Amino acid sequence: MNIDDKASKSKKQITLTVNGAMFTRDVFPHMTLAEFLREELKLTGTKVGCNRGECGSCTVILDGHSVYACTMLAVEAGGKSVQTIESLSVGDKLHPIQQAFIDQDALQCGYCSPGMIMSVKNLLDRTVKPTEDDVRCAIDGNFCRCGSYQNIIKAAIDASDKTADPDRS
Amino acid sequence: MAEHRLMVHGNVPPPLDREFTVVGKPLNRKDAVEKVTGKALYSGDLRLPGMLYGKILRCPHLRARIVKIDTTRAEALPGVRAIITKENTKGWRTYWYGVSQPAFPEVITYEGQEVAAIAADDVYIAQAALKLIDVEYDVLGHTLNAEENLENPLPSSVAGEEYPENDINDRTRRVVKRGDVAKGFEQADVVLEETYTTQAQYHATIQTRACLVSWDGSNLTVWDALQGIYFTQIALAKSLGLNPENIRVIIKYLGGGFGSKASAHRVTYFAAKLSMLTGKPVRMENTRDEEFITHPHRWDFKVYLKMGVKKNGELTAIYQKAIANIGAAGSYLPNRFLYAARYLYKCPHVHLEQIGVFTNLQQTGPQRGPMNAPSIFALESHIDRLAEMINMDPLEFRLKNYVDFFYVDPEEAIRSVEGLPPIREKLVDATGKIPYMTKNLDKCMKIVTDTIGWERRKHLNDNVKGPKRRGIGFASFTAYQGAGNKPNKAFADVDIFNDGTINLAIGIVDIGGGQVTVFSMIAAEELGVSMEDISVTYGDTKGTRYAPACQSSRVTGEMGPTVLQAAAEARQQLFKLAAPMLEVKPEELGSRNGRIYIKSDPSISIPFKAACARIDPGRPIRGSGSRATNPDSPMVGAFGAQAVELEVDLETGEVNILNVAIAHEFGRALNPKLCESQLLGGVYFGVGYALSEEGIYDPKTGKMLNPNFHQYRLATSYDYPDVKIVIVEGEEPWLAYSGKGGGENANTPFAAAVRNGIHHATGIWLNDLPMTPDKIVNALQEKRKGGSSHAL
Repeated sequence: MNIDDKASKSKKQITLTVNGAMFTRDVFPHMTLAEFLREELKLTGTKVGCNRGECGSCTVILDGHSVYACTMLAVEAGGKSVQTIESLSVGDKLHPIQQAFIDQDALQCGYCSPGMIMSVKNLLDRTVKPTEDDVRCAIDGNFCRCGSYQNIIKAAIDASDKTADPDRS
Repeated sequence: MAEHRLMVHGNVPPPLDREFTVVGKPLNRKDAVEKVTGKALYSGDLRLPGMLYGKILRCPHLRARIVKIDTTRAEALPGVRAIITKENTKGWRTYWYGVSQPAFPEVITYEGQEVAAIAADDVYIAQAALKLIDVEYDVLGHTLNAEENLENPLPSSVAGEEYPENDINDRTRRVVKRGDVAKGFEQADVVLEETYTTQAQYHATIQTRACLVSWDGSNLTVWDALQGIYFTQIALAKSLGLNPENIRVIIKYLGGGFGSKASAHRVTYFAAKLSMLTGKPVRMENTRDEEFITHPHRWDFKVYLKMGVKKNGELTAIYQKAIANIGAAGSYLPNRFLYAARYLYKCPHVHLEQIGVFTNLQQTGPQRGPMNAPSIFALESHIDRLAEMINMDPLEFRLKNYVDFFYVDPEEAIRSVEGLPPIREKLVDATGKIPYMTKNLDKCMKIVTDTIGWERRKHLNDNVKGPKRRGIGFASFTAYQGAGNKPNKAFADVDIFNDGTINLAIGIVDIGGGQVTVFSMIAAEELGVSMEDISVTYGDTKGTRYAPACQSSRVTGEMGPTVLQAAAEARQQLFKLAAPMLEVKPEELGSRNGRIYIKSDPSISIPFKAACARIDPGRPIRGSGSRATNPDSPMVGAFGAQAVELEVDLETGEVNILNVAIAHEFGRALNPKLCESQLLGGVYFGVGYALSEEGIYDPKTGKMLNPNFHQYRLATSYDYPDVKIVIVEGEEPWLAYSGKGGGENANTPFAAAVRNGIHHATGIWLNDLPMTPDKIVNALQEKRKGGSSHAL
């Protein structure tokens, strides 16, 4: 059996938008969206911690919904629009959520931060003035083993203040 | 101000004699931008051209002899480049915290132990090849229970002949005695005897072990996710028969360590061997279940504790026997269970024992204050129950037995009962005090009880209807820290260049505690510049000198003085160049906020960079620091207290933590923002240790049943309580600006505080961690029946 031959024959072509740019690629049907982002597009900001939809490190925003990129297949994302952590800052200018994470020290080892920030981003995209409980709910699917939850909640509220009032950001 | 004596070799820099401009400020961490933008490259994010993917074949049994292993079919699979097994690596050993184990054993001693490792062109081929390796096992009986294996003199039933000589030293029975416990119990009015059990807690770092290793024919380069680059370098050199100089270890970011990654772990060795065999870079990464099954978790303990007390509250005797489940041979076990009960309270008669027992229950190792958390759970649980027995307030009882520093007896000795001569420790310095110790635990206890509203305890459940009851509990602690103990080695270098660039070279890893930020701040403070002015070379054996791994809360206390000395030495050299510019002697100069000034008239100054311009472009200034070993005495310790308000549902047994107040003393908070984050992280570990986290194993097969986050019950954002933090500062002139470690403190007393709070709410005493709803419901039912008032 030659795995290479067998596998390459079964590749499927997909076209999807990632961070505003269109990509067309031939991918294995078993390739996850997380693998696609990390291996095909070299967007390694999206982390993988469990590869089974538990830790939330791979969280990305897909057509306005935060999803675990490790439990979605790349072929399922075909035709859709994906937003990853790499899209948030523009040049050296950080997104208000990123700045709030720094100011509130809402990170320690930093491994969960990209996924955590994307979950907060999705919350703020939908909710202008989230409560503390809204934030807890939005990041319930993201583990931070360094235990920065209290500061993450503060950062989300802090960022929502600034995104709600653009003059302040 | 105590005597100024920084713990370094050579010249001790004089104090700055000015207000701090950097240290003590809540600055943002230095590597935060990389982390929030996704630009930080962790070891699993790295790729090299021509790289192979490694995978490991793991034994599904707990104990088995490998009868036959045949790799023929796997080797025939196109894309497979190398396979290593016991057959082609005879005699090869790997090291975990210096403890050796066969790379591929004849006899498997824990579930998931490695049988073969494969390197292939891609991960799919490597995975497919695993299934083509034919292994015949002779499955042997296994041992899970440490206590049942207690009298087994050697771990031969577990490890077989493959663990000779010193590899079994971990099992040593350690005893500490003070006074005469039998006499102490005779003097007591009340004696309480209890058994406590604590669970196997897993580190559950969000990043699994991932490494990339590249061999170029003579040198090995290792990108990894570990807590110490030099620990890793030395261990790999010993295992692979290389000189340490030929191994470069690079660790820039680490996705969580908590003790589990202090030393090179097995995947690194296998990736290195495969790279050396194939001449190609090899990448290897654990899956989540591999991570759970094979990474060394915190030992589970069984603790027998008996204490005597007089009616007036004076402790008379402590007898403690702690049995550690070491798990499989090759694990590491320090002797720290003897620490808290020995020192925390004034008690003249003490007998403490720690015994480690090998079983087949995976491998074990240090985790966030390795033995502080389990030993404090037993001690502080016991203290509360004793207080109730003599009808004394728990806070008053602790203050009654309080000591200014540690309680010691000059005649005290630590000895092993294995026939070794007793080793006496010199416990006090020339002034009769114990060095390295600020304590302030009395302050911490008062702060947390005030903050939580201790006086509310009496009426917390007045007029309460429904199934929920509130409780307030409290516990104090001391935590062992490893800084400066023998053997000890730590270096730092500060270079100042002609263009004003300043570089700090430190061979440490930033594990998320903000180590790089804090050491930059120390260097900046000594030089009189801002933190941003300091660039740092770190996490790389190239360009740095030996430094400890970031474990045992040691690097702040160990590297702090080292960095301070290096920066101060560089500053003094720069002052020699600046002195003629200001027409004074170098010793008349000071520096602050980027300027060098005359101390007697600070209005006369020059920019720091103007002095740098006088540095010979070909010969930058170098200041070097070297940490001296602590004198023979108790080690660096941290202290604190925590109070918890919680609600227990009497019907479901669920515990909801409502408010938490914590007060911690660890010298000075060099960067309060980062210190608070560390403390919050400690509470998170404490929440899990108290209420949910535990490794669960099938009682028959011994296999782990919950090797994933949700069944392991890692606490979520909803479980995380509101925490009020107070940092109580003290002076430690032996350390850099009094800075001790902050990482391992906050998880230590939390479980005991919760347990004491559950008692206050419900009247039940729980002695078994984690305190899950089923245990609480069972204990409440027992209580209603009028049976035992605690669950075991």
